[in-house]
Amino acid sequence: MLKVIPIFAQAGISGFESPAAQYRELGLDLDELLIEHPTATFIGQAQGDSMTGVGIFDGDLLIVDRAAMPTPLDVVVANLNGAFVCKLFDRKASALLSPGSGQQPYQLAEGDWFEEEGIVMRSVRMHRYVRQLARCLR
Amino acid sequence: MFALVDANSFYASAEKVFDPALRRKPVVVLTNNDGCICALCDRAKAIGVKKFGPYHKASQQLARHGAVIRSSNYALYDDLSAKMMQIIGRFAPQQHVYSIDECFLDFGRWCPPQGWKALAATIKDTVYQELRLPVSVGIGLTPTLAKAASFAAKRRLSSPGVALLANPQVINTVLTSMSVQDVWGIGKRISARLQAMQIHSAAELAALPVAEARRAFNVEVARTVQELRGVPCLSWDAQRADKKQIYSTRAFGRPVTEAAELRQALAWHGEQVAEKLRRQHSAVKTLTCFAHANPFASEGHYHATRLHTFALPVSDSREIVRAITAQLPALYRQGIKFHKCGVGAIDIVSAKTVQPDLFSQLDSRPDVMACMDAINSRYGADTLGLAAKGNQPQWSMKRQFLSPQFTTNWKHIPKILC
Repeated sequence: MLKVIPIFAQAGISGFESPAAQYRELGLDLDELLIEHPTATFIGQAQGDSMTGVGIFDGDLLIVDRAAMPTPLDVVVANLNGAFVCKLFDRKASALLSPGSGQQPYQLAEGDWFEEEGIVMRSVRMHRYVRQLARCLR
Repeated sequence: MFALVDANSFYASAEKVFDPALRRKPVVVLTNNDGCICALCDRAKAIGVKKFGPYHKASQQLARHGAVIRSSNYALYDDLSAKMMQIIGRFAPQQHVYSIDECFLDFGRWCPPQGWKALAATIKDTVYQELRLPVSVGIGLTPTLAKAASFAAKRRLSSPGVALLANPQVINTVLTSMSVQDVWGIGKRISARLQAMQIHSAAELAALPVAEARRAFNVEVARTVQELRGVPCLSWDAQRADKKQIYSTRAFGRPVTEAAELRQALAWHGEQVAEKLRRQHSAVKTLTCFAHANPFASEGHYHATRLHTFALPVSDSREIVRAITAQLPALYRQGIKFHKCGVGAIDIVSAKTVQPDLFSQLDSRPDVMACMDAINSRYGADTLGLAAKGNQPQWSMKRQFLSPQFTTNWKHIPKILC
């Protein structure tokens, strides 16, 4: 990613240069913090309340990385029988867990069509109404 | 060594990336206005439907097989293509993006420690892992052989999705099984002439003496012959040449009979042409605009074209739309069911070489246009435009089966069940 420090052209004849000008740095960029693999990351939106135990609530944004290293227990997005679901994936037991909802673990079985799509690296809560997103909330 | 990496049935595959319900279904993508079939996934090909056929002829057959139909979603394809090119670009010092779904890699003299086949497999797996797009990778001694390798990879002449054309025996086997018209750079006309010379396969073309290829055809064909023999001689220009003509034309979603609608549609096309002109720093001297009735309809044939020549070449949307609007009385006729209209810049000059005229009446405002282009590129096409094109285009494209813009519009991001 190209990073440009904005420095404005100045004519040397008027006023004083700001004493802080030489300390100008790039502002903080959330992408840098939230996205490790830009080409492998997509953003989805959580629908439902089965993941509140790991702090994911209805309407939250999920930042999903398809290039992240898996660990034995990850919050993942998967294609389960043709729909995207977000679950805590116990890889050893091949089970999808719904922490905090009281739901029983879902044991993956022979007839299930299951593809892991990516790992949920971060989630973003919007504490106020977001116009850009509003229409897709239930 | 060179590699050609291209996505398999790119548009259809792109539709499957964020819609998991489609992954195992036959998917068919239609062109502008939902007229023709322009992409089919493997499952859709298996039904026996052909690419580039009209959709209405195949619609029943497709429905019987439960095929999913999509209108072209260029916003999605463009975003996925850009990401795909970035991923592929990591693997070589030089990359040449050839089209929306394919690119060449130039490895120079470098040799992968794990071997070429393993590298090809890594490229293919990485693109699938990071983007869920299936690609084929062909590797060869020259760009033309890389293209042939990709052809072999698609035809599954070697292990699925990857092929390597480096050793003479393999090259010979593949080229023998490849018809001459499938060679990169050999068009229909040249292949017809080659067939007449009893040259049918790519291998036979490779055996044609270079001097004879140059004499009988041209230097391009002579180069292709050399490339097939493993001598690299093609190079791509770092920059694509500017277009010599720019057109924007489209059939209406439904017949148009009102003058106001035709005027708005022409203004829309005028804006498109103006923007493309500015993007390549060109200006237009002569503009054509046309409107016609459906040429396939049994009655009411009508075709009107008007040329407009500017005193000074322009690229300002307002000038162009004004000139087009002035042609409307000559194009419009009451009672005609208009099927299609369009605008073309047919005489283009570089904007840098335009000589201003002391007495010119034009009021081009490059600063305003630059500002408008900047806003539209930041906030999406058609954020800012001329009122002349109207704001509720009734005539616009038919895109009945359009999928969401999963990656470029906040309102369309994929929903994930929790």
